[in-house]
Amino acid sequence: MSKRPGGVLAVYRYLDQLTDAMKLIKDRTDFRGHEVFSPTSYHEIEEAGGYGASPVRFFTLAGALTGTTCGFLLALWTDYDWPLVVGGKLAGLYSVPAYVVIGFELTILLGGLMTILGMLVMGRLPNPNQRILDVRFTDDRFGIFVPNASLDGEQAKLLKQCGAEELRIIESE
Amino acid sequence: MSEEVKWNKTISDVNNGILANLAKPHPTYYVAWAGAIICLLIGASVWAWEISTGMGITGKTSPVYWGVLITDFVFWVGIGHAGTLISAILFLFRAKWRNTVNRSAEAMTVFAVITAGLFPLIHVGRLWIAPYWMLPLPNTNNLWVNFRSPLVWDVFAISTYLTISLLFWYMGLVPDLASIRDRVKGVKRLVYGIMCFGWRGTATQWHHYEAGYGFLAALATPLVLSVHSIVSWDFAMSIQPGWHTTIFPPYFVAGAILSGCAMVYSLLVPVRKMFRLEEFILAEHLEACIKLTLLTSTIVFYAYGIEFFVAWYSGNPYEWAIFEKRAIGPYAFYFWTMVFCNCVFPLIWWSKRMRNNIAVSLVVAVLINVGMWFERYNIIVSTLAEDFLPGSWGHFQPTWGDIGLTVGSFGWFFFWFLIFCRFFPIVSMSELKLIMPKPFSKKH
Repeated sequence: MSKRPGGVLAVYRYLDQLTDAMKLIKDRTDFRGHEVFSPTSYHEIEEAGGYGASPVRFFTLAGALTGTTCGFLLALWTDYDWPLVVGGKLAGLYSVPAYVVIGFELTILLGGLMTILGMLVMGRLPNPNQRILDVRFTDDRFGIFVPNASLDGEQAKLLKQCGAEELRIIESE
Repeated sequence: MSEEVKWNKTISDVNNGILANLAKPHPTYYVAWAGAIICLLIGASVWAWEISTGMGITGKTSPVYWGVLITDFVFWVGIGHAGTLISAILFLFRAKWRNTVNRSAEAMTVFAVITAGLFPLIHVGRLWIAPYWMLPLPNTNNLWVNFRSPLVWDVFAISTYLTISLLFWYMGLVPDLASIRDRVKGVKRLVYGIMCFGWRGTATQWHHYEAGYGFLAALATPLVLSVHSIVSWDFAMSIQPGWHTTIFPPYFVAGAILSGCAMVYSLLVPVRKMFRLEEFILAEHLEACIKLTLLTSTIVFYAYGIEFFVAWYSGNPYEWAIFEKRAIGPYAFYFWTMVFCNCVFPLIWWSKRMRNNIAVSLVVAVLINVGMWFERYNIIVSTLAEDFLPGSWGHFQPTWGDIGLTVGSFGWFFFWFLIFCRFFPIVSMSELKLIMPKPFSKKH
């Protein structure tokens, strides 16, 4: 079985035609595994796709909490390991207010790094065998790719009805 | 705001308009770049001179151990504030004008923070052992850094800020790098393909990207406000008159945003001309940047006033002596330059005609940068030059070494910024498309 199936690619010029098509095909089994392409992040597409909340938030939360913990633990541990008593200020838990800064900075740092990681993991990036179906998708065109469909099939007809300006076959690789 | 903006272009013009111009900048671009290299070489030679000769080539002497180099450090960190403010805070507020300027502002932030980061290293002299003073690294003395010191907080704040700004900036670049990949061929295609991680622009990728961008913005927002607060604690946590005040964090943050926005404007105007971006960075967007600068200028004006009032109202003679010295003493020149550049000249922007006069606004924006440098100089030097030991009082004067290193920092900053402008889209194409009229088949 081929790793990357062929299918039909519909190219759209207009956003509303794309979202109309998306709403129609969203729950249909004969469109399973379809991909939508867009040059930028229009909210209309997100609404039409009904993607719900992105799991990236769990990455952010995990990173931020790890950061907070590590920040306080780092400062406290070095403090117990070799107490630096400066100006009569006791080391350890007595100095926690000063360590809020370290805890805060590491919260942001690890939260940010994990957010990026989450975005990459969820978006299946990096993606070395990038399959570029149409170079116009990073310019000004929208697209829907339906795997295992043919030009004379039911799927192609529906995509055309919604206003696709171009329909073509993508060979499997 | 963008409701009134009249776009002559559609989203189909964006990639062509922006990428085509990258390839052939106006000749002044190369002149600017040559100028930056000359300044950079001056700075590099002075640094080599400092390392081989000693710290004496700078004006630092007892009791002024923080002189021009720390002034430069605070100045450049301040410049770095506008980028993440524009990309994170204005993103959360959905200020649409940011979409045209955020890329250049973020690039400015990244390079300004890197420039700032050089100064503590230059300042300590023996920079090759500096990591042991700054980071909790295991060492033969079994000592750790003092986490109760604002200077250690600063190391954490600045490095976190640099990392997050870098991520923000690169994350925004990913879809645009994919746009370039899809236009070029051969090795270039491979390089841009690797740099964009193989971005395909699928709706699910955009969905997670948008979520991630939002969270990063939410994390970066308190970060922007905290970084310069922590820089201000380098001063405010001490007991020096003129430094030991609670107004410092908000005062420094407002000043940083003022200088950052003024720098964004001063960079945007020439870059817009060099790369012929007038059709994409519209006059309305420049004016919005000016409005933000004017707002922060008034906050800074207020802070200057309150600082004086509190110095007088506290009844502390040492505190008041410093302020008297700043206003009518040996540092009066620096003080009044600062007041005029940061507070008085920007007042002409209350007139809409002046806000839209690019030549006048550019002059005022550059003057604000001069004024903000003088503000840091004024704060640092005037407090240190006359401490609690009258026997060590003196007058601080920058040396040629100080001036050379400062000139070099501008060269270093512009060197990288101009390289960036030449090879990467200086306007975020994917975000610009979002604020342009949406491609609907019928009127909505």
